[in-house]
Amino acid sequence: MIIRQGLVIGVPLLLASLIQVTLLSRLGLPGATPDLLVVTVVAVALAMGPIQGAFAGFLAGAIIDVSPPSDTVVGVNSIVYLAIGFIAGYIVDTRDRTVLGMIVIAALACGAASLGTAALDAMLGSPRVIWESVPVITLTSTLYGALLAPLVIPLMDWLTRKLAPEVFLEG
Amino acid sequence: MLSRRTRIALAVLVVASLTFVILDLRGGEGPMSSARSAISAVTGLLQRGAATVFSPLTSAGDWWTTWRNQAGQIAELSQENEELQLALRQAEADRARANALDELLRVATAGRYRVAPAEVIAVGPAQDYAWTVTIDAGSLDGVEREMTVINGQGLVGRVLKVNQTTSTVVLLVDASSAVGGRVATTEEIGIVAGTGRQDSLDFQLLDPLAELVIGDSLVTFGSRDGRPYAPGVPIGEVVDITGTAGQLTRVATVRPFADVSQLSIVGVVIRPPREDPRDSVLPPRDEEAQSAADEQQETSNDDETAGEDANTEEQQAVDDGASTQDQEAQ
Repeated sequence: MIIRQGLVIGVPLLLASLIQVTLLSRLGLPGATPDLLVVTVVAVALAMGPIQGAFAGFLAGAIIDVSPPSDTVVGVNSIVYLAIGFIAGYIVDTRDRTVLGMIVIAALACGAASLGTAALDAMLGSPRVIWESVPVITLTSTLYGALLAPLVIPLMDWLTRKLAPEVFLEG
Repeated sequence: MLSRRTRIALAVLVVASLTFVILDLRGGEGPMSSARSAISAVTGLLQRGAATVFSPLTSAGDWWTTWRNQAGQIAELSQENEELQLALRQAEADRARANALDELLRVATAGRYRVAPAEVIAVGPAQDYAWTVTIDAGSLDGVEREMTVINGQGLVGRVLKVNQTTSTVVLLVDASSAVGGRVATTEEIGIVAGTGRQDSLDFQLLDPLAELVIGDSLVTFGSRDGRPYAPGVPIGEVVDITGTAGQLTRVATVRPFADVSQLSIVGVVIRPPREDPRDSVLPPRDEEAQSAADEQQETSNDDETAGEDANTEEQQAVDDGASTQDQEAQ
């Protein structure tokens, strides 16, 4: 059962990371890259709860950090996404899940993720963070998160209900 | 409130992440780096597959601009038209790839670099602020760490990590990248550092009194054994200079020749040239290009003979190189 849950979380995250680096980041969209991975983490948290959300965040961060072409410190994204997955699952009221509410959570999560990784990278001594472009990156990331949420969250809900109904949070 | 189980699980995950950070920051060879390379070998393979699937969408490069301009028109297209468009885009992408490959070959031949061609298959997300890409050539293709990566326009970056079938390349605009550069006309040397922005590099002259004018072209200075940077690769053009001659820090802004936002075909320099090609690889200046075009028009009748001449000359040069090599071997 726990293995099945792991797969329901892990496989979508792996697919999301592949789509993110081979498709989304190559479209040359203005500002940030649409953060499909963070939206998927939020979707897991909303469908299953805070602890699954935290696990999904940890896994997503580990995947993006060790996959090429990443050259950031391994674990930074894990910490940030872990916190986001946990908080998203913790604050959402499962009896009152509105579409707008979930879009807002996903959008804020994307903004927080880009801000959080930038801050943590800078603290660990990365020479790369450009503070002038942080606001633009954060804003566009938030916007893209809002756009991705209505696609990803229902899909993740559906997957969870089909494949791991025991952890699905009934509305 | 949180249950005991939840708190323990959360603590385990946080501790695991922190362990990753510490192990990775410690650097060197260790369990972290071997795990990382093992996993990235697998994800690299998956990325190759995904890149193939998405290639009609990404290899055109300016997909976003095209889409933005033509959003209205595309909405009106029927299913049949969409299919035709896709086929067309694929063909255009193929043509663009062929052109990119041609340009790469031109640079490689002019500078006598031996290159392994490769295609960019994945790009790091913008919010990492790192300019790194995955290419589909790895140790099986002869790629090793710290090799120079070029394309038809000029220097692209250097190889950072190598797996069997893919490698990670850090682009020259990355804020952690620094290249020894030389002004093509005056031979003055300096350091070209990435800024993290895709269209500007910082160039700091070692001699603060050296003369530098806007429009000067830079080529790589070259490193020992051509690693990480082979000599004579075009880097970019000076577009702005801050500070006056003699000032302690005199920094010029350089626009790289290679457009890093639209990379498709690149070449990994497997063997640098035996001699520094100097600035023979630089793209022709506008007026030169114009006169060259005129000349070509005039002599278009003698094109065949001229082409043959050029070929023989090149052959001659290659022979020369080979004979010196033989002598050295003896």
